[in-house]
Amino acid sequence: MDSNQKTAWWAIARSEEVGGKKPINADIGDQPIVLWRDNEGIVRALEDRCPHRRAPLSLGCVRDNGWIQCGYHGWIYEGETGRLKEIPNMKDKQKFPPLYRAIRFGVHESGGFVYVNLDAEAAPPAPSTNTTYALSGTVAVALSHQDWLDALFDDPNLVLAIRGIGFTPYLMTELHEEQGRLVMERSCQWRLLHWPAPFSPEFPVTMLTATDPITGHTDVTLRDADFNELLRVALAPVPAARGVTQIRWRAEIGENRPGWMAKLLGMKDSFAVRPSVDGAALRVLKPSASRHGEELRANMLNKDAVAAA
Amino acid sequence: MLDVPHRPTESDHEPDHSSAPIAPSIMNGSVNSWVPHDIVMKDTWFPLAHGFAVGKKPVRRAIYSHPYYLWRENGVAVASEFHPNERRTGEKSPYTNAAGHYPVMERYGYVWGWFGRPEAADPAHLPSLPFLPPNGNLPKYLLGTVRFDCSAPLSLENLIDLTHADFLHANVVGDEKSESEDVEVFTTSETITMVRTCKGKSVAPVMKFFSGIKTPVQDIRQVIHIYLRSHCAIAYGRFEPGDDVPLFHPCVPETRDRTRLDYTMNTSNAGFMFRHIMPRASYVVSRQDSSMTSPQSPRYMREEKRRDLHSPFDSAGQKYRSLMLDLAKRQAVGDFDYRDNVSDDCSDLIGLRKELFRY
Repeated sequence: MDSNQKTAWWAIARSEEVGGKKPINADIGDQPIVLWRDNEGIVRALEDRCPHRRAPLSLGCVRDNGWIQCGYHGWIYEGETGRLKEIPNMKDKQKFPPLYRAIRFGVHESGGFVYVNLDAEAAPPAPSTNTTYALSGTVAVALSHQDWLDALFDDPNLVLAIRGIGFTPYLMTELHEEQGRLVMERSCQWRLLHWPAPFSPEFPVTMLTATDPITGHTDVTLRDADFNELLRVALAPVPAARGVTQIRWRAEIGENRPGWMAKLLGMKDSFAVRPSVDGAALRVLKPSASRHGEELRANMLNKDAVAAA
Repeated sequence: MLDVPHRPTESDHEPDHSSAPIAPSIMNGSVNSWVPHDIVMKDTWFPLAHGFAVGKKPVRRAIYSHPYYLWRENGVAVASEFHPNERRTGEKSPYTNAAGHYPVMERYGYVWGWFGRPEAADPAHLPSLPFLPPNGNLPKYLLGTVRFDCSAPLSLENLIDLTHADFLHANVVGDEKSESEDVEVFTTSETITMVRTCKGKSVAPVMKFFSGIKTPVQDIRQVIHIYLRSHCAIAYGRFEPGDDVPLFHPCVPETRDRTRLDYTMNTSNAGFMFRHIMPRASYVVSRQDSSMTSPQSPRYMREEKRRDLHSPFDSAGQKYRSLMLDLAKRQAVGDFDYRDNVSDDCSDLIGLRKELFRY
């Protein structure tokens, strides 16, 4: 991860994955993280490593008071500060120096995602206007974060599946910067009998994507030629351990979907992130949009760095 | 008289060309080290759609990623950067008038949209296509659409380098064998014309099968005439024995690395079979071209230290690169003037047999 990514807000869980009884583990790159909800329903994030004997805190449990307890020797930590609160059997000698704490991380929840920042003091992200889409899923792909995004830019067929939709190589708008995001619009076809894409005068659907240059968080809008929004998706790819990318997504089917192919989008499992990538197709995939992405990202981050200086 | 219904008298928001960053690849580019991906031509007409494709319901096109929605109001074509159902969230571009409309006109069976300073839109800058009826109305079987996932200049460079056809399209247009071959190149600041004359060349299989040519060889005269700014080309082949095959080959840069080609091949003077089959040969030929230009395109997106090699047969392609770079450099510093006319009748230049195409 580069320095920008180390201080970014990453969507490392869907809201419903994090409960108040059993902690879960997630990761940002090689940093393991434990997540749970305290007794106020607030999501807490600590390093998934007990400072006592390095056992994963995610193997423990959440106490009634919202603190997390290590499953190995029972040490108990408070989520907001990460400070050690109790050691079993110490009875009334429960006062610990500040050093006795787990590393804590910044947490923010919006749009049905739990965002974590490795910098606990980071300012919360700008308020999201995202509503929480009802459909959701999590997929782990054995591909690096950047390679996954590049595949999304160059050929979404390799990483996404939308019922009845074929992504063409043809673009209405090449990748460009728009309000701090990488935006492009790709022409799509319904998977029906029709002219092959290279000979099609018109395409019935386009897929608009707006991608955060640092995290790769991407808002997807599938819309028809009359600007009816058929499908809205929020994709949150996060670099995880061992070069794996975890993609959490939330989706919502549009209400107004003229045409029977569009109506079929209302069926179950109409959207999916592919759990694996066709290596043979990926190997020969020609980089075009991803090259634009590389340059745009570098320019945008450079601009930000200059502005910060 | 040609009309440009949405041309404003002056721009309401003129782009600030003086402060726009100039791609180093344009200013440093040379013939054997160019980055066609960075070339964005302005102040020109692009043929956005066949006239028949534009009706009351908007259809979408793009030029360099700028949206063009086309529809008709009382039969007159409109080109807007906003769809009527679109919630406008951003500012309009400097390429449209206050209503968000681009200058637009119809001619030769196409709806043409202007890309550049709206106040500079002028029918005088429309390419001359003397083998097409000014009001269109050719049968639909002569028209078609193909797409390339490469930059438009690469697609045109491919076209003007006809030696590739003998290898890539041998099964359609015949192999490289001929008794003699001569290539001439003519240029202006706005056009390049390549004339290739072959004596005793192998008969194109498509003519053998569908035009009934029985002789083993034929003489051919092929002309490629490119309008540099609008990326429009004429490919005119005269075959003896055989037919005249004039093709309008516009390479519209929908983005910097995607090209749309709404072509018209006017074989209306040929025999029944050839007349109907030949325009469809584009579906075969374009795939053959795409097999090369598609992998080429990403390799021309950035400046590279290694320079391209060339041979004497590449003179037309080399000249095309040179002229495009000259024009791009001029535009980069804000010079959009036409130094040569593009709408003058080019019949003589391309050697059109006018008796076949009286419009």
